[in-house]
Amino acid sequence: MLELRNVTFGYKQKQPVLKNVSLSIGAGEFIAIAGRNGSGKTTVTRLLTALKKPNSGTVLLNGEDAAANTPADMARHIGYVFQNPDRQIFRDTVAHETAFGPEQLGFTPKEIEDAVTRALELTGLSDVAESYPPTLSRGQKQRLTIASALAMQPKMLILDEPTSGQDCCERQRLLELLTQLNSQGVAIILVTHDMEILARYPQRVVVMAEGEKVFEGTPRQLFSSSHPIAEWSLSYPTAVAIGQELFPDGSETVMSVDDLCQLLECELGGDR
Amino acid sequence: MNKAAPLTKLILTLAVSVWSLLLHTVSGLTILVFGQLALIVMAKAFGKTYKALAALTVFAAVLAGLQYLLGSGLELSLVTGLRMISMTEVFLLLLATTRMQDLTAALVSQCRVPYEYAFMFTAALRFVPDFIAESRSVQEAQACRGYSAKGSIFRRMTSYLAIVEPLVLRAVSRSETMAMSLALRGFGGASRSFTANVALGSRDYAMFAAMAAVTAGLVIVR
Repeated sequence: MLELRNVTFGYKQKQPVLKNVSLSIGAGEFIAIAGRNGSGKTTVTRLLTALKKPNSGTVLLNGEDAAANTPADMARHIGYVFQNPDRQIFRDTVAHETAFGPEQLGFTPKEIEDAVTRALELTGLSDVAESYPPTLSRGQKQRLTIASALAMQPKMLILDEPTSGQDCCERQRLLELLTQLNSQGVAIILVTHDMEILARYPQRVVVMAEGEKVFEGTPRQLFSSSHPIAEWSLSYPTAVAIGQELFPDGSETVMSVDDLCQLLECELGGDR
Repeated sequence: MNKAAPLTKLILTLAVSVWSLLLHTVSGLTILVFGQLALIVMAKAFGKTYKALAALTVFAAVLAGLQYLLGSGLELSLVTGLRMISMTEVFLLLLATTRMQDLTAALVSQCRVPYEYAFMFTAALRFVPDFIAESRSVQEAQACRGYSAKGSIFRRMTSYLAIVEPLVLRAVSRSETMAMSLALRGFGGASRSFTANVALGSRDYAMFAAMAAVTAGLVIVR
C-alpha cells in the first residue's frame, strides 16, 4: 500500500538524517516505529505523508510513485495525528473541528455529517460534539485529533507519540480504540517510546538508529533475541524482563503480564 | 442578529463604519453607539463582549480627554471618542454573533475572497484568546523564576522581552505544527465544500434595504 524504497533524506545534502531506508506498509497492518530521539522516526512519517520529499529513493503509494503528491493528496489515504493535540485544534466546537478535513476534501454536506457522526462515535466523543475544544481533557483532545483524521476516511493512520502526557485510563482507552480501528482494516503506524505498547500491540516493529533501519520484525523477535536493545535506547518491558529472569535459557518468551500469569499458572501446576 | 446571514453582518459592519464617518453630532453618534449596544444585548452577546466594551470605552474616554486637553472643543472631542467606539463596537457585534467558519464561507463563496486569505483572517481571530492564554502561562513560568515587571516604564519594557521572546518562539513553533496539520487534512487541495449555510433570506434583503435607506438619508442630510 505504502512503501519507502531506498530513501535517503537530509535537510542538508551532506548530512542525511535518513540513510537508504526501505519500509513497506501493507493494508490493515499495525506497525510501531521506535528508536531514540533524533533517530529518524518522525522523518519517516513525514516522508510517508509527503510533508518532506526524499533526496533520493522513492515513495510508492499503491505501487505508484507518489513524488508528485502533495500532503493534501496524501490526506485522502493517510491520517496523521501529531503529539501535541493543542497545536492542531482550531475550530470552535468538536464537531466543526472534525468536519474540517472532509470539507477540504470536497465531501458533500450529507457525507460530512455522516463522517463526523461516525468519527465521533468511534472515538467516544459524541457527547461532547458541541463542546469548545480547549475545555476538553488531554485524552479527549487526542481522541478529537484522531476523530478529525478518521473523518477523512483514511486507509492508514499515523500517530506520533499519542499516549504522551495521558493518564492510564485515557492511554488504555486510546490503545483500545487503535486496536478496534485496526480490526476494522485501518493500518496503524505508531511512533512510540513506550515499551509496554511496543511489546503488546503491533504486529511488526521497526527500530531506527542514527538514520538507519536497524531492526524490523515482530515484538517477540525484538525482545527474545540478543539485539543491542540498550544501544538503541530501548528497554525491556517489565513483564519481558521478569520472563527473562524466570526463563534465562530462553525456553519461554513473556511479552505481557497476561503471558506471565499464564506461564506462572502452568509452572505452579494449578488453577489460581 | 444571530439569524442574519454572515454577509449581511459584514455589510452592516461596513455600513456602520460609513455612518460613523457621516455622522458628526454627539447625539447622532450616541444613538448609533447605543443602537449597536441594543443589538449586542438582543443577540445575547453582552456577556461575551462586556469586557472588550468596557476597555473600548476607557480607551475612547482617554482619546477624547487628550484631544480636549490639546485644545479641541468639547463637542469635537466627544465626537472623536464616540466615533471610535462606534466603529469598533460593530466588529465586536460581528465577531460575537458569527461563527468563524460561517464568516470564512461567506468571504469565499459570496465575497470571492481567495480561501487561503479568508482562512488566514478567521484563523488569526480564533487564535487571539489562545495567544492571551499562552502569554499568561509564559508570564507565570517566568514569574516562578524571578521575573518581575516592576520599576520604571523603560525597565518594564526591557523586562517584558523575557515574555515576548518565548511567546514568539512558541507561536512560530505552534504555527509550523498547525500548518503541517492543515496540509495533512487536505488544506490547499483542489476540491472544497462548506457545511455552513450562508444563503441570504428575506430578513437579509430587508436589512440591506434598511441599511441603504439609512446611508442615503445620512448622505442627503449631510
